[in-house]
Amino acid sequence: MDAIDCDVHCAPDSYEALFPHLSEYWRQYITEAGIRVNGLAHAYPRGVGATAPSTYEALADRVLDRRGVRFVILNCLTGFETHRNAYFGAAVASAINDWVREEFLARDEGLRASLVVSTISPEDAVAEIERVGEDRRFVQVLLPVRSDLPWGHKNNHAVFAAARERGLQVALHAWGRAGKAPTPSGFTTTYLEDYVGNQSIAQGQVLSFVSEGVFERFPDLRVVLIECGFAWLPPLLWRFDKDWKGVWREVPWLGRRPSEYVREHFRATTAPAHLPRDPVLLDQLLEMLDGPGMLTYASDYPHEHGDGLAGLLDRLGEEQRRSVMWSTAAELYGLAGNPAASSRA
Amino acid sequence: MRVVVAPVAGFGDGERRIVEVGGRSIGVFRVGESFYGIRNRCPHQGGPLCLGHVLGDAVADAPGQARVSSDPLRIACPWHGWEYDLDSGQSFMGGAMAGVRSFGARVEPGGSLLDSAPARPAGRVPGPYLAETFEVRVEDEYVVLEA
Repeated sequence: MDAIDCDVHCAPDSYEALFPHLSEYWRQYITEAGIRVNGLAHAYPRGVGATAPSTYEALADRVLDRRGVRFVILNCLTGFETHRNAYFGAAVASAINDWVREEFLARDEGLRASLVVSTISPEDAVAEIERVGEDRRFVQVLLPVRSDLPWGHKNNHAVFAAARERGLQVALHAWGRAGKAPTPSGFTTTYLEDYVGNQSIAQGQVLSFVSEGVFERFPDLRVVLIECGFAWLPPLLWRFDKDWKGVWREVPWLGRRPSEYVREHFRATTAPAHLPRDPVLLDQLLEMLDGPGMLTYASDYPHEHGDGLAGLLDRLGEEQRRSVMWSTAAELYGLAGNPAASSRA
Repeated sequence: MRVVVAPVAGFGDGERRIVEVGGRSIGVFRVGESFYGIRNRCPHQGGPLCLGHVLGDAVADAPGQARVSSDPLRIACPWHGWEYDLDSGQSFMGGAMAGVRSFGARVEPGGSLLDSAPARPAGRVPGPYLAETFEVRVEDEYVVLEA
């Protein structure tokens, strides 16, 4: 079956790989301060997977020869999380986009990528979208799910406006800015809490996007939850709708139930899937999700999340399998069946 | 059953009276020159609906651009915030989109209002509940409830 892999990682081995795309000042800044990339190596427990490919050859060898995968969406999380220097963050984001274009996108018509931006300055994020967002090989703006301010806040709306003006969608990927606590009530003691915390952070972002009226302002905007899971949606949406009925006057710009916005505007990748093994329970979960219409396939290479996808596909009919593996993402990103014929590069 | 609630002169704008009629508790409201009667029992979970606030509709043309519209009027149950159209008793969920259509605050049985198209403002989701409403009219300078 044809597939679009909505989450494959790439990462430079070191900041030196980005040097051709950075000014002398920033090259010196990196060298003198001893700044190193870690590619979020700390973010995963041992055994979850290899390091992300840093060259096209490595990507082609390890990822691109899989049968049926026609398009791959590359996500580079380097520099995603730590910088407090907004000027450095913006320079690194630009360098990564140029590196991704040169190292990967220019070499394979089946590759697409997320455009990375400053995660601390909406103004710089808009400038970067204006700089490279016309390149149709970028399909969405990648934001860390863990942010300094909930993404739905009005201060961030300029980023969504700039994205939509260029036909780009938005994606939230697990992990992100470590300067803020991973729970609403403070910093955690353990890595375990931090790791699991990505899920509750994603839930908070879903509430933010809807409550702040982002989808009223940007009715064509879709937000893709990458590596955030999705099995937690039904209880969240149940309570979101229930409590909205009592306090809707706070958000009178919402013309529909909150859950309707979520189902229309959010998509979620299948890795990790967090699904019950019991097929009866899995069927119930899919029913509560109104079917698999929000779901798009992702391998999350090089990270290994187990066999949740296979369990999911087993419970779906042919048409639904195709929607998860292909059509939902194809519609989202405007991708057609034949990469060579549809290349927008 | 006709029940004389109060002299009009002693029933000020914005006031309400809760009366017992045949074992039923009914709220009579005055807003401007209009009178409304509605059962003091929330169809949701039986809360004392008529102790709730009477509010104009909240509307927004865009996120953050919220304002209050004086028409239609709603009463919000003090228990869980379920809101009912004061005129028709229809519950509605959530805010309206821009361009809410108002409808006449005439005194008629609730059922006939529900059947008329303007009773459902554009973009608003009707809720599952219908509060019982009653005719209130002014006769010879007295507020009269038909219950």
